[in-house]
Amino acid sequence: MRTKRSPIYKRILDEIERDVRIHPHYADLQNYLGLVLMVEGEAEGAEKHFLEALHLNPKYQAASLNLGFLYVEMNRWQEAEEIFLSEVRRHPKEGFLHHVLGILYLQTGRLKEAAARIHKAIQYHSYYRDYYGKKGVWQKGVVHLDQKARGVLKRIPLNHHHAQFHNFVGLYLARKGKSAQAVKELRKAAELKPDDFIFHANLGTVYYYQGVYPKAIREFRKALEIDPFYGMGYANLSYVYGLMHRTHEALRNMKKAVQMNPQYADLHYNLALLYSDRKRYEEAVFELKKALRINPNYLFARINLGVLFEDQKRRKEARREYRKILQITPDDEHIRKRLEKIS
Amino acid sequence: MLKEDFVIQSNIRRMLIRTNIDYSRMDFGTVKGVVYIGGTFQISHLYPDGDEEKVKEYTVKTLYTFEKKIRSLSGVTDVIFQFVNWRKERGQWVPIEVEKKEEEDENKTESNL
Repeated sequence: MRTKRSPIYKRILDEIERDVRIHPHYADLQNYLGLVLMVEGEAEGAEKHFLEALHLNPKYQAASLNLGFLYVEMNRWQEAEEIFLSEVRRHPKEGFLHHVLGILYLQTGRLKEAAARIHKAIQYHSYYRDYYGKKGVWQKGVVHLDQKARGVLKRIPLNHHHAQFHNFVGLYLARKGKSAQAVKELRKAAELKPDDFIFHANLGTVYYYQGVYPKAIREFRKALEIDPFYGMGYANLSYVYGLMHRTHEALRNMKKAVQMNPQYADLHYNLALLYSDRKRYEEAVFELKKALRINPNYLFARINLGVLFEDQKRRKEARREYRKILQITPDDEHIRKRLEKIS
Repeated sequence: MLKEDFVIQSNIRRMLIRTNIDYSRMDFGTVKGVVYIGGTFQISHLYPDGDEEKVKEYTVKTLYTFEKKIRSLSGVTDVIFQFVNWRKERGQWVPIEVEKKEEEDENKTESNL
């Protein structure tokens, strides 16, 4: 399948080719160039760049999957199978990989193996339960691959790389400030592969850039429905609610984000700000201390902590924090003045 | 004016995403309306074949715009920049020449020996 050539795609191809010439050792750039060439129908060039990306970073899953789908398009089934099997060994609970292998086996007439993989896809990702249920393949806990179902499934295009391509173009356009076009591309990605949370997360982010907050919230929520473990989705929701001055919801979502990513000092810091804004100082201090336990050099968390102590007339503790800051940044006049004021 | 630090912080985050600043090496914090910004200030997508003077000129221009945008955010009372590679001196943005400084330090150490 070849994507209709548009001036934007051509421009992107030119830019990535230039970037790759400047930074030939960036696996990401090699992978993106491969992806664009693949969608442009230049299979050989695409293969070369995916292989280069994997040479630079052998554990690069996106490049590996793109290469697998390229082999599917080139009817190089065995090489495709090897790639997907290797990925499944590394990520045995990734429903999507089992789904892809199921379709690949079906398309090559290996029905028994196809049924086993579809079963696993359903087992590991609830999305596939509905998906195969609607197609009449999953009935009462059993995979049915009768002739009709086989006919339907055989026609399913493996859209992964096209979705990745539109996602990549969408993000590229968003970085260029072309949000409306970015949204169109990301929508295409989400339509081609509705089970992938990242496209909705990216859409949410673009709406967030644009300041279209209700739509940003809708997309982040969709992403979280697909992948409830997408902890940063809660943080993003919190930032959006913050911008809408809906701090109660911002607080609820940031708490959830912290709960899911307890090792992210930045999230503890943001939670502390929310508590501090609501004058819940003890909880704010608690979160700042947590952030500092994770990253003792987290300067801003220490400044906030010092100021909070100062405001609560806990001068000794404030002095201690300011002194620690000056150990890290001795030229910080602002903190030096604050310290002098309470010394 | 109500100083909601979290709202300011969210606004800065949103603002940074929409600029051509490489914010991956920058960090920022907000304390009672005072914004602290540190790390390395860099423009994304600048190519090594670019004219050094032009790059500097463009970075300075971006720094002024960036500063203006932060100061204009609702609730922001002050901005303190702590970049490792740029500082403001008498209202002008000047680059901190890290290598030169390191060389000077090395020389000092050698002369002390």
